[in-house]
Amino acid sequence: SGDAGALAQWVLVELQGEVEPRQSGDLAGSLLGDLHYTREGVPVLIVGHHILYGKVVQLEKPFAVLVKQGGAPQPSPAGPHGHYTVTALIKTKLLFKTRPKPIITHVPKKV
Amino acid sequence: AVMRNRAEVDATLQTAKLNPAELLPAVHCLSFGPQAGGGECCLLQLEPGLCAELEAGRSLVIRGEKDEHAVLCSKDKTYDMKIADTSNMLLFVPGCKTPEELNAGLVSCNIIHSQIAGFSNNYWELRRCRPKLKKLRKLLMEDPYEGPDSRKDQTSTFSKYTTEDLLSLIQASEEEILHQLQVIDACKIEGFWRILDFDYEMKLLNHVTQLIDSESWPLSKVPLCACLEELGSLEPREMIEHILLSYGRKHVDDGEVFFEMREDKICRAIAQMLLQNAVKFNLSEFEEVWQQSVPEGMTTRLDQLQGLALVDKSSRPETIFLLKVEDLPEDNQERFNSLFSIREKWTEMDITPYIQDLCAEKQTVGTLLTKYARSSMLNGVKVYNSRRPYS
Repeated sequence: SGDAGALAQWVLVELQGEVEPRQSGDLAGSLLGDLHYTREGVPVLIVGHHILYGKVVQLEKPFAVLVKQGGAPQPSPAGPHGHYTVTALIKTKLLFKTRPKPIITHVPKKV
Repeated sequence: AVMRNRAEVDATLQTAKLNPAELLPAVHCLSFGPQAGGGECCLLQLEPGLCAELEAGRSLVIRGEKDEHAVLCSKDKTYDMKIADTSNMLLFVPGCKTPEELNAGLVSCNIIHSQIAGFSNNYWELRRCRPKLKKLRKLLMEDPYEGPDSRKDQTSTFSKYTTEDLLSLIQASEEEILHQLQVIDACKIEGFWRILDFDYEMKLLNHVTQLIDSESWPLSKVPLCACLEELGSLEPREMIEHILLSYGRKHVDDGEVFFEMREDKICRAIAQMLLQNAVKFNLSEFEEVWQQSVPEGMTTRLDQLQGLALVDKSSRPETIFLLKVEDLPEDNQERFNSLFSIREKWTEMDITPYIQDLCAEKQTVGTLLTKYARSSMLNGVKVYNSRRPYS
């Protein structure tokens, strides 16, 4: 069901491939990277040793983010069952489709 | 997790050989939030109108029992849900600003620590569908109401359904359910939705038509009050009013309530009453008895029986038999299979009343026929038969 108050607006970041933690262990808490925008509004994502260039896309069909009440949803082919709450709406995505440019470096600069 | 600071960000920019002067000053440091890998969040792609509904504070509900494919219901529409896979990774980021928002000067600091709330490589897609209402009739037919004198109600162990019960069991939006309850002439008795047993319904109708006849009221102006007064001793007042609402159109004249009786619906009900007693009837005999059975002043016509009865023009003599569209399967393919097993070849005119309800938004009977049937010519007339090699 929807919230009576204003719904939060989130952003979708779309990346090619999979996301894997650099260290073993799960993802929670680990850094993904730095997201910059050029002055022309082009998103630039620095992930590890890669630079990704993307674009801002206004979604023709916005997304709703559903959170299942009471634990993770069982992936069932018949569909999601149970009670869900709409947590946020997503109307914008940052699409990173270009191949990442590797950052060539000799010595990581320490501060 | 250690939060990055500006110096580290700048160092990374330098290593990446990016010129800070070409970038907006604010940076988002993205990290995975504590719940990110939990899989509790999923994405639902919204059809036009649904986003506005959510923003207006209205709810969407996912309905379906474990053996049913889930549907999503807004206040007045129903959608099938299907998983769509992408080859990409979708990350959902709260509090992430777009370049416009940054340029608008809404952000004062130049580091925004954004936590990724979740990620997925699939999302739910919606497709508008017909509400699945056949179950509604099926549930209410478990225990049709036979009148206050029926002892069945007291001893009945069958489930009775409130509006809330129906909302949780039927895969349709609330408006679609309430509309269908009206269409099938259901009524609320002691808080439960009930369908009338057909014989009881005919008994009520007969009381009314006989009264109209004996009082010589015009069929277009039957007074509610007088009906309740005259018939109130025979049947509950709510039932009398219900039958008038079902078979008449209510209007108010000078503060008094009248009903304009619906000729087509009454003739149709009486036809059903006659036809249900045998497998089939001689058409001309039926037409004669039927005309004699309807109230004075009403005229019977075969087109009143669309979706209720079928005429067999190939038999000698011509016959007619009961075939109710609501008894046929709800699924498109199953409906056509069923129809072709009853009759091998159909004209468009004959089959239309039996497939009309399958049409989705912007779909025509013609599209359905193209998809599910094969056409041919029979005696100069276009007919449709099954696509399957064997019926």
